[in-house]
Amino acid sequence: MAPIHTLHILNKTPGHQRHEACLAALGPQDALVLIENGVLALAKGLDTDVACYALMPDASARGIEDPASEVTMVSFDDMVALTSAAENVISW
Amino acid sequence: MSTPKRTLIIIDQAPYGSFEGREALDMAFSLAAFDQTVSILFSGPGVNWLRKGQLAADIHQKSVEKNLAAAPIFGVQALLANAADCELFNLTQDNLLEQVELVKLTPELTGQFNHITFAG
Amino acid sequence: MTDAQSELTGTPAHAGVFTLVITGAPYSSQAPQTALDFARAALKAGKQIDRVFLYGDGVHLASALLAPPSDEANLARAWADLLTEHQIPGVACIASALRRGLVDESEQKRYQLPASNLVAPFEIAGLGEWVASTASDSRVLYFHKGA
Repeated sequence: MAPIHTLHILNKTPGHQRHEACLAALGPQDALVLIENGVLALAKGLDTDVACYALMPDASARGIEDPASEVTMVSFDDMVALTSAAENVISW
Repeated sequence: MSTPKRTLIIIDQAPYGSFEGREALDMAFSLAAFDQTVSILFSGPGVNWLRKGQLAADIHQKSVEKNLAAAPIFGVQALLANAADCELFNLTQDNLLEQVELVKLTPELTGQFNHITFAG
Repeated sequence: MTDAQSELTGTPAHAGVFTLVITGAPYSSQAPQTALDFARAALKAGKQIDRVFLYGDGVHLASALLAPPSDEANLARAWADLLTEHQIPGVACIASALRRGLVDESEQKRYQLPASNLVAPFEIAGLGEWVASTASDSRVLYFHKGA
């Protein structure tokens, strides 16, 4: 896993101001974790250059099973590892 | 040894219509009271906190304009506002509180802090 | 690895201690459940949780009076059990709590209220508790309401 500067945890649907603000604040060494309603970005299609993860239970709950290949589906265990490894974390 | 935290509290809700911004200010002032480094960023509809001439008595709330004006005295390092959102809500040098620094929400800005949060 | 070392090597020390701040209310947001699943995973991974801090609408999680239908998770109970089992301090912000009608026995007496409703082991305290966590090496994680 490449070092993560800031891990962005996003739980807002696309179109929400905080969803858009999060995307604007993504830096090149950052990573994005979609949780809760944030996973709906996968239904809409997500265009970002940073490493992107989505919380599997939230995606499954919303019937999103086959995300774009650039997105890695993760468990809560993985999310703990990501939040531990990142230098900073922002919950949007 | 602890890495000193440089905190940014972001307020993106307009004043009075919800309580979130007020609770965000409480967080910022608490950090400042304990000599922690803290700045506040107003973005989205949150920039309306920074408009001069707020008279909230008739909706039975306290105006926060005075608190904000005193923020630097309380030890809040900077009051930042997203320039594009100020423009959207017609906030100019004429009606914007003094001491507000216009910025853009970018990785360069957030990179100056190692603890960034909203109140809710 | 010390901070000085991590600066030299460019690899930050992995966070071993978490503080969880919950601002989303139970039954109106997913935040308390997400935070609970995260906390269980963190503890399983050997991480320490120094404090769970409830702020804003999050204080409703410490109410002893939540009575959800029996086929739904009782989030207040589940959180209280987790905190007790792992001896993690649970703190509801006093300013948030009093405004929203969440009081312990001493606040009940102070304000002469007809009842108290804080579920053990949660306690009521000031934002200073949150400041203490932010000033420490703890990784402070926030669970806000979604939208």
